[in-house]
Amino acid sequence: MKRVSYVLSAAWQGFWRNPVMSLASTFTVGLMLLLFAFFLATDRGLQATVGVLESKVELALFLEDDAKVSDVLALRAQIEADPAVSHVDYITKDQAMARLVDIASRQPDIQIVDISSNPLQNSLEIKLQNAQDAPRIGATLRQEVGKGVVYEVVDNPSVVDKLLTITRVLSFGGVAVLAMMLVVALFVIVNTIRIAVHARRDEIEIMKLVGATDWFVRWPFILEGMLVGALGAMAALTVVVLAAGPVSNALVGFLEIVPLSFGAAFLWQLVGSVFALALAVGGGGAMLSVRAHLAK
Amino acid sequence: MVAARANGRGNELITLDDVSKHYPNGTEALRDVDLRIESGDFVFLVGSSGAGKSTLIRLLIRDELPSSGRVWVDGQDVVRMRRSAVPKLRRRVGVVFQDFKLLPRRTVAENVGFALLVTGHSDEEAREETERALSLVGLAERRDHFPDQLSGGEQQRAAMARALVSRPKILIADEPTGNLDPVTSWEIIKLLIRVNELGTTLVMATHNAEIVNALRRRVVHLDRGMVVRDEREGLYAA
Repeated sequence: MKRVSYVLSAAWQGFWRNPVMSLASTFTVGLMLLLFAFFLATDRGLQATVGVLESKVELALFLEDDAKVSDVLALRAQIEADPAVSHVDYITKDQAMARLVDIASRQPDIQIVDISSNPLQNSLEIKLQNAQDAPRIGATLRQEVGKGVVYEVVDNPSVVDKLLTITRVLSFGGVAVLAMMLVVALFVIVNTIRIAVHARRDEIEIMKLVGATDWFVRWPFILEGMLVGALGAMAALTVVVLAAGPVSNALVGFLEIVPLSFGAAFLWQLVGSVFALALAVGGGGAMLSVRAHLAK
Repeated sequence: MVAARANGRGNELITLDDVSKHYPNGTEALRDVDLRIESGDFVFLVGSSGAGKSTLIRLLIRDELPSSGRVWVDGQDVVRMRRSAVPKLRRRVGVVFQDFKLLPRRTVAENVGFALLVTGHSDEEAREETERALSLVGLAERRDHFPDQLSGGEQQRAAMARALVSRPKILIADEPTGNLDPVTSWEIIKLLIRVNELGTTLVMATHNAEIVNALRRRVVHLDRGMVVRDEREGLYAA
């Protein structure tokens, strides 16, 4: 198809007609996409971590030794009625001791020297649907302390809280920074294409004169914008691949969280999102520019 | 009457009905222009600079829209046509200019074939039609030269080949001899006459009194945007 090859070669020539400008905009787009990929990966990583930790979050209710079984069961039913609660386990002091012995047997630095008496208490372990509800439920249950059934309430979702805060800050901050980068990238692309349009103004004039359609005139520029985007995407993804290891190690060190490796599905999703954004920004910027400079 | 014209009344190829054009800066480029040009006509547009010749030409290829009045070209209402229909109109109206408008980094054949390639014709069609157009204007042996390797007359002939390659019904020439010496100008005119004889309607804006007077064709004289004279076998000046 001569049409397609004309449009493609015009786009390619357009890119290299002004290499400094084209490479500058490729660099800017690449930088924006790098940020995008970084936020995407970090956000996904934190969300996964939060998910893992959330499923482990528990409130522990230590019970008075002399609490009546009927009272304990009533309390359990009451807690289970809360929709935020996933389920409640009743752990006897013997089960707790067995668990402790089991944990200790796998930890060389802990030793249990005397198990003739059991200082542990019976307890209710509460699993939640959502970690964010832990403080509320904890507060409600603390009102029960000293009424003969509950001895102490222990909740420790602070790690999750920290992660949730970081995720939230990253999302807001990320979107804000990304929006600014997007504006800069669009601005640079609009200008690059404007220069390309200017360089080919004679050709465009003749094309219109002999009856080329608007789209035939526009496509080379839109493709040139998409080429800038695609090259930026390749540059950004190359950096992502090279930096993924060190960056995730640094994150693990900094946040003291479990290192997670992303599956192939997420990697393809990342590549797809980066390319989609690249082509949208490149093609969209070019279209804006062409509309502004080829009107008539 | 207007509706009938839309369907191409008789042999009328170009019709201007009460056309005026004024620009935002207050310039009145055309005033109440009525003009009918039939298929096969050879029309000289004369008048001093700024009389409205170029504006009239731009209306015909819908490079501009009139402020009021109607313009019909080849049965189509140019004023009311959709933007997307404009390219098809331009494929039926070839235009050549005083400054040739050739692309310097393309050969003669590429310049001519360009008009077909960018309007969706195949490589093969473009090649065949380019050869035909180049032999029509007598440039077949110069096909692989670049514009700056050609004389002014040859460049204008290349521009004509490009205008004719899509076999337009109308050829509009805006001062085609403006940059050429008298001998070369006559070569171009002879070529235009030949094109006209082959059936293409010709509208030529010119300042060249010698040519107009020698040919005794139809002369439409514009003065300050108005048609002040329209003669069948006219002279440059009344």
